Amino acid sequence: MNWTLALPELVLALSGLAILVAGVLPRRDMTFPCTMMVLGAFLLSGAFVLTQPDGMGFGGQYISDAFARFMKVLVLAGAALALLLALDWNRAEGLSRFEYPVLVLFATLGMMVMISANDLMSLYLGLELLSLPLYVMAAFHRDNARSSEAGLKYFVLGALSSGLMLYGMSLVYGFAGTTNFAQLAQVLGGTAPISAGVVVGIVFIITGLCFKVAAVPFHMWTPDVYEGAPTSVVAYFATATKVGAIAAIVRVLAGPFGGAVDQWQQVIVLASIASMILGAFAAIGQTNIKRLMAYSWISHTGFVLMGLAVGTEAGLRGVLIYTPIYLMMSLGAFSVLVAMRRNGHAVENIQDLAGLGRTDPAMALGMAIFMFAMAGIPPLSGFFAKLYVLLPAVEAGFWLMAVVAVLSSVVSAYYYLRVVKVMYFDASTGALDARPSGVSFVLAGTGLFTMFFFLMPAPLLAAARQAVAALIG
Amino acid sequence: MIAGLAFYFFAFILIAAAVMVVTARNPVHSVIWLIAAFFNAAALFLIAGAEFLAMILVIVYVGAVAVLFLFVVMMLDVDFAQLREGVQRYAPIGAVVGGILFLELLLVLSVWRFAPDAAALRMAPMPEGVTNTEAIGRILYTDHIYLFQISGLILLVAMIGAIVLTLRDRPGTKRQDVGAQIARSSAVAMARPELGEGIRREDILRPLPPPAKEAPKPVTHEGGHH
Amino acid sequence: MTEFLNTPLGVLALTVAQALALLVPVLIGVAYLTWAERKVLAAMQLRRGPNVVGPFGLLQPFADAIKMLMKETIIPSGASRLLFLAAPILTFVLAMIAWAVIPVADGWAIADINVGILYLFAISSLGVYGVIIAGWASNSKYAFLGALRSAAQMVSYEVSIGFVIVTVLLCVGSLNLTEIVRAQATVWFVIPLFPMFVIFFISALAETNRAPFDLPEGESELVAGFFVEYSSMSFALFFLGEYANMILMSALATILFLGGWLPPLDIAPFNWVPSPIWFALKVAACLFVFIWARATFPRYRYDQLMRLGWKVFLPFSLLWLVLTAAVLKLTGWLPA
Repeated sequence: MNWTLALPELVLALSGLAILVAGVLPRRDMTFPCTMMVLGAFLLSGAFVLTQPDGMGFGGQYISDAFARFMKVLVLAGAALALLLALDWNRAEGLSRFEYPVLVLFATLGMMVMISANDLMSLYLGLELLSLPLYVMAAFHRDNARSSEAGLKYFVLGALSSGLMLYGMSLVYGFAGTTNFAQLAQVLGGTAPISAGVVVGIVFIITGLCFKVAAVPFHMWTPDVYEGAPTSVVAYFATATKVGAIAAIVRVLAGPFGGAVDQWQQVIVLASIASMILGAFAAIGQTNIKRLMAYSWISHTGFVLMGLAVGTEAGLRGVLIYTPIYLMMSLGAFSVLVAMRRNGHAVENIQDLAGLGRTDPAMALGMAIFMFAMAGIPPLSGFFAKLYVLLPAVEAGFWLMAVVAVLSSVVSAYYYLRVVKVMYFDASTGALDARPSGVSFVLAGTGLFTMFFFLMPAPLLAAARQAVAALIG
Repeated sequence: MIAGLAFYFFAFILIAAAVMVVTARNPVHSVIWLIAAFFNAAALFLIAGAEFLAMILVIVYVGAVAVLFLFVVMMLDVDFAQLREGVQRYAPIGAVVGGILFLELLLVLSVWRFAPDAAALRMAPMPEGVTNTEAIGRILYTDHIYLFQISGLILLVAMIGAIVLTLRDRPGTKRQDVGAQIARSSAVAMARPELGEGIRREDILRPLPPPAKEAPKPVTHEGGHH
Repeated sequence: MTEFLNTPLGVLALTVAQALALLVPVLIGVAYLTWAERKVLAAMQLRRGPNVVGPFGLLQPFADAIKMLMKETIIPSGASRLLFLAAPILTFVLAMIAWAVIPVADGWAIADINVGILYLFAISSLGVYGVIIAGWASNSKYAFLGALRSAAQMVSYEVSIGFVIVTVLLCVGSLNLTEIVRAQATVWFVIPLFPMFVIFFISALAETNRAPFDLPEGESELVAGFFVEYSSMSFALFFLGEYANMILMSALATILFLGGWLPPLDIAPFNWVPSPIWFALKVAACLFVFIWARATFPRYRYDQLMRLGWKVFLPFSLLWLVLTAAVLKLTGWLPA
């Protein structure tokens, strides 16, 4: 049984239940205390993650290894910072309800379950536990038609992708006879040819996971949901949940289906190329900065999938380095988006940033750093992220993918730099409201990381190498 | 033989009912067909010897879920014509996707074979001498406790979500406070007032002022008729 | 004879005979339950009740039945014909098929299945369909309101009934109804689980749409609720179904809490009386309380009804369930 292995999840789940009760019982607004309690729970759970030993629990349904710990720490950090950003934004928008931090907590728990999954069933349940709060959070601004639309759209498409994934899992189970990852790896890793049923199953599972990471052609929901949902929620979507989704797809494809790499490689290559191209070109015409971030993410997905498609140790390490760097850039960018508020009203057009270089130089500098980093300009962290996935692709001979990656990077630099140009060279249309202290904190932290990553990349590289070693054994 | 016939009988009705769910014009009829489909699925479980699952299917899906479906469908005024329009438009695409999936299934089934290790990896069959209710309980609360608890959390989240998205505290809503109602008994007393007099001055039904006598209309055209 | 009974035809004939042997008494019971209800209500309201047709009005139910049969079946022009006619049949059939698993004496059940209690629970949870379909198919405001009320009400109270049943099952360790009764040989469950019995009984009142929870009918505001448009035999089938359900719920209460066919004490004068008589007596006692409640309590308001179900019964029965499990576990009485 070995249930103590899952202590981080248990702690998080139990504190979630306790916080829920603590939020319901008192007859006053409990948003702030609940948020603080959730942050505390994240911290506690993170401490348990760091001290977690290797091993399997619950009859092989749960696994704890270096990969899981690496990803869980990222997820917890991302969720905590996104929650911090949401606190002020939700209060300003009249959305401050104590259920929000609780939903964030359960979604984060779902991601942790997903990351630690060693069985298709726990993977699926983790995914559902992640998705359900996300649907609700997307519609959290329930009096706003766009937010409700975002929630509904996300729900319908998410349910469809879950269904496809479940269908794939049942096919894999039917043909391989097991849902356990270790046993699946054993079945598929043998010399015997892999049956078509398993291949179709894997493709369906990839479809479901691609939906979650928003890779083309399963990306259509992303811009609409990003635009409609409250910015605070999008900050969570674009950071922590992306890490969780990447972790899931890496875990599944490199783990149990690692033996069938020839079967799924072309699919991932195709998704990667399509995502990079679409992300680069579709973002050009956007005026809404949240939509811009959505397309920016789609293009980043392409890079992440590129590392995965290569499938080598170096490629996977590239993915694991890309993830935290992206997390920091994205959190930083969203801390600026969350602070975009004029006369008490949230604004979300790129033009609303005009003149920020003069009205709020610190925030403008931060945003410029993030935009440069996302574009992949050295020596910022984003450059290294792209480098670490590009090099293995070149080494492994995926020339087409590498060329597309470089070209799309050049194209996407245009719209990132446009944001910088608007901030520094366009005439101001009025100063933004003073930014809350939570935003300043996140902005400073992520900004420093992004700026000075090149000085001390060693710890991250070492951790990523360890995680990859645990993953492919 | 009889079990085989029964299987095909129920399976046929199940599929027919499922088709009717999709094609019925009236959504209420759709839900009723859905209920029929649930029943036949339960019957199939019974034939397979899974009596517990069969009964739970009826209790949970037919007895509770479908009732709420029906409830909602009856309450919502669904515009059938508009729904039809969408179906007409997207039917070809849907048919193509469905056809591809079906062909894929055929392709997959044509190469059906068990993985070499599958037999060894198969989960334990039902132990001898135990009812299947007990067998499910044993495996659900031991081997799969992790998944069971996560499922519980998912349901909890669904509940929180439903409340978050729908519950509104309208100002001025009157709520019954049973405790206060019971505790107020001292404030209420039985009294026996005299007939026609209230307990307090204000309660007295004052007699209406006597109706003002209608003044006879002043006759202005004296001698108007002869 | 025994050879014939082993052929498929023989099995069929035997089953039909058994079903008739059970259902005919049940239907006669339904007929006289209506009479008894009027008599008891009358007595409680210092009236005489039916006393014209036959001695003590004993032939009144048959007079009513003949009257019903003679009336015209009216189908409203806006109604959904098929469903409109199916609803009362459904109600009646469900009330009848539930009896298949009821053991009236040791081994006297038509089908002594493993999951008998689940079967009963499933059938009783289907009862709501008769009401909701009738209300919708009538295409009338009053009927529809009645149906909606009933759907919410019956689903709510099923939850607490479910927990009560689980509590009993914890003490028995089997889903078989005969086993449940046998487990009460030493003490009837009504004594250790008295609060659960009260909850079960009140929920049964709500589940059968009886006063004080008869909001789906609600004469004073909804005229007659979900069956306002029904007449003649279709009305009679609802009527029969409702009363048969009352008897069924009483039988269930008897089996779960009052020791089924077992005599109160297993000593001389009591165990001379045959088991089915004990069973019938206990059912009759429960039915009397059904009628008594109707004579005594005013109708609940809808929000009070929901509050009682979700905020009082549900938490309490959950608590009691955990308590029972803990006690059984700690004392080692948990059935293997």
